[in-house]
Amino acid sequence: MNLILVTFIILLAFTSYYFGRKKALVIQSSQRLTALPKFYGYYLAAWCAAPALIIFALWSVFEPSIVKTFILQDYTDQNLTKNELQLIYTKVKALAAGTYTGNITNFLDESANKYIQLKGIANSAKVAIILAILIFSLSFAYRSVQKNDRMREPVEIFLKWVLFVASLGAVLVTIGIVFSLLFEAIRFFQAVKIFDFIFGTHWYPAKTFVRDGQPDPELMKDAFGAVPLFAGTFFIAFIAMCVAIPIGLLSGIYLSEYAGRGVRKYAKPIIEILAGIPTVVYGFFAALTVGPFVKEIGNAMGLEVSAESALAAGAVMGVMIIPFISSLSDDVMTAVPQNLRDGSYAMGATKSETVKKVIFPAALPGIVGSILLAVSRAVGETMIVVMASGLAANLTMNPLESTSTITAQIVVILIGDQQFGDPKTQSAFALGISLFIVTLLLNVIALSVVKKYREKYE
Amino acid sequence: MSKIKAENVNVYYGSKQALFDVSIDIAEKEVTALIGPSGCGKSTFLRCLNRMNDVIDICRVEGSIKMDNLELNSRKLDVVRLRENVGMVFQKPNPFPKTIYENVAYGPTIHGIAQSKEEMDQIVETSLKKAALWNEVKDRLDEIGTGLSGGQQQRLCIARAISVSPEVILMDEPCSALDPIATAQIEELIDDLKKEVTIVIVTHSMSQAARVSQKTGFFHLGKLIEFGSTDKIFKNPDKQQTQDYITGRFG
Repeated sequence: MNLILVTFIILLAFTSYYFGRKKALVIQSSQRLTALPKFYGYYLAAWCAAPALIIFALWSVFEPSIVKTFILQDYTDQNLTKNELQLIYTKVKALAAGTYTGNITNFLDESANKYIQLKGIANSAKVAIILAILIFSLSFAYRSVQKNDRMREPVEIFLKWVLFVASLGAVLVTIGIVFSLLFEAIRFFQAVKIFDFIFGTHWYPAKTFVRDGQPDPELMKDAFGAVPLFAGTFFIAFIAMCVAIPIGLLSGIYLSEYAGRGVRKYAKPIIEILAGIPTVVYGFFAALTVGPFVKEIGNAMGLEVSAESALAAGAVMGVMIIPFISSLSDDVMTAVPQNLRDGSYAMGATKSETVKKVIFPAALPGIVGSILLAVSRAVGETMIVVMASGLAANLTMNPLESTSTITAQIVVILIGDQQFGDPKTQSAFALGISLFIVTLLLNVIALSVVKKYREKYE
Repeated sequence: MSKIKAENVNVYYGSKQALFDVSIDIAEKEVTALIGPSGCGKSTFLRCLNRMNDVIDICRVEGSIKMDNLELNSRKLDVVRLRENVGMVFQKPNPFPKTIYENVAYGPTIHGIAQSKEEMDQIVETSLKKAALWNEVKDRLDEIGTGLSGGQQQRLCIARAISVSPEVILMDEPCSALDPIATAQIEELIDDLKKEVTIVIVTHSMSQAARVSQKTGFFHLGKLIEFGSTDKIFKNPDKQQTQDYITGRFG
């Protein structure tokens, strides 16, 4: 029903576009148009689609809660809790849809009938109202077209609002996510002291689990120390950067300064493919190939290596990040003006001297920016760590041992059974917001560095 | 005395020929101006003299260019040595985004000319003085070179070029991005420099060629139409084409 209605509105909008344009061509024969004919079409189409779709959206948002209020009115005298009312409403809906399998009481049956009836009324009302609006707004718009009113400005204003609503939506969603993180994190910090979270060196949330009631506050104190996670996160990111920075930078330099046009044309997309591989593929590559390989080599050298090591995860993560650094640093070095290269060559500098003394320093801010972006990517990476580096939050600086990161722990906390309101679940939000702050800071620094670089050459 | 002797130079960009059989004798410690309409090949020829065309993949140079009997257009030539001896100043000032001091010290550093910090300071000071820039920048040598005015930047580039004591300096329209006052300063500088170095200058401005040069070559459509003393070219050219260009009938 809804699908048909929306399709109808959109088809009508298209039709009115052609109709409006045609009308404009007719008007043209007798008087001067106020805008290009297509604007007459846009004007009609906008007036056709926008009011009807807005009403449709509002209706769809508010209808369910209004129907719910009507249904539950009959139960107000029974003194039920919110949860019980919710349960009844779910039952009524299931019964109306014919999927209810429980015990059907008379009362429930009555409610279900009422629900079906209400839904029917609501649907007819919706169709009627929307048709009325369509007729009203189209006739209003058509009169404007007939009078040959100014068409361009209303269309431009309409487009401006469409764009505004789109960006407003994006911003609101972002703000909403941040706030939901924040509120849950605040609730977590009511149960666990922020000091214990930031400076505690022991992460073992499973310990706080109790079947009923509140966990022991003494246990809480020692279970949520995030230091091992932060240490693990930065340690693995550090290993990744040790792999990615040298290889990425050197290949970036090769691509921008040494490679011929043919090589660059093919090599660059191939390197960029690395960035397109799903991280889960890297994850099992790390877990099944690199991890055992590292362990074997370590054992051959007489070292004790865990099968899930920070080294394996970090190295694979580094490979994943190479294209970020090589591609971005290639771009910033290519952007260094050719006349600086000419100036250096004309002084008798060799290619490597030119790269080292002119190109690289000139591109350095951009390169630093790309590295910082890569770091924030490494810090936020999840799948590789979950699969290849283990889940035990060891506080260790030994790359051959397993260690865990913030992201991996969030996964551990939120898969399987969990209970809202439990500090263990809420700790995921606290971790999430701290990770968010770290990557946000890195991105802000990276972008401001890159911006500074841009100002210098443009 | 002849410094550079080019014979039958042909240059191709891919399949397109840019220079046709150019032969020219460039005299030592004189200013030679190359004039001609845009796209006539004068800059292309200039870039043959320090092998800057090597930078362009599709460019191919044929013919013989000798500097003091050294064949420049040879695969065996050490391009780094050549460019140490033949400096270049470009159309648009292109100081490195480094300090003024570092800009001038760039050449001496990569060629290992200065043995000590004092010697380097001396080279930087002399070069800046020769480029008539010393008085303006001596108190701010550690400021970024790109922060100077256009004319100052171009003189900084000249200082950079002369820091390695080249025998020849090539100038590719060095004043086309500058205002008249800065242009006058550069022209004065060229006049001073020619006591020590051979200068080849490409210019769009005929009055500039007339002011600064002793010899002038007129290029048109990739050919060297006429070459001779500046006086003769401007007052009594042999070729009608030259006459037309000089008097502004085309170009």
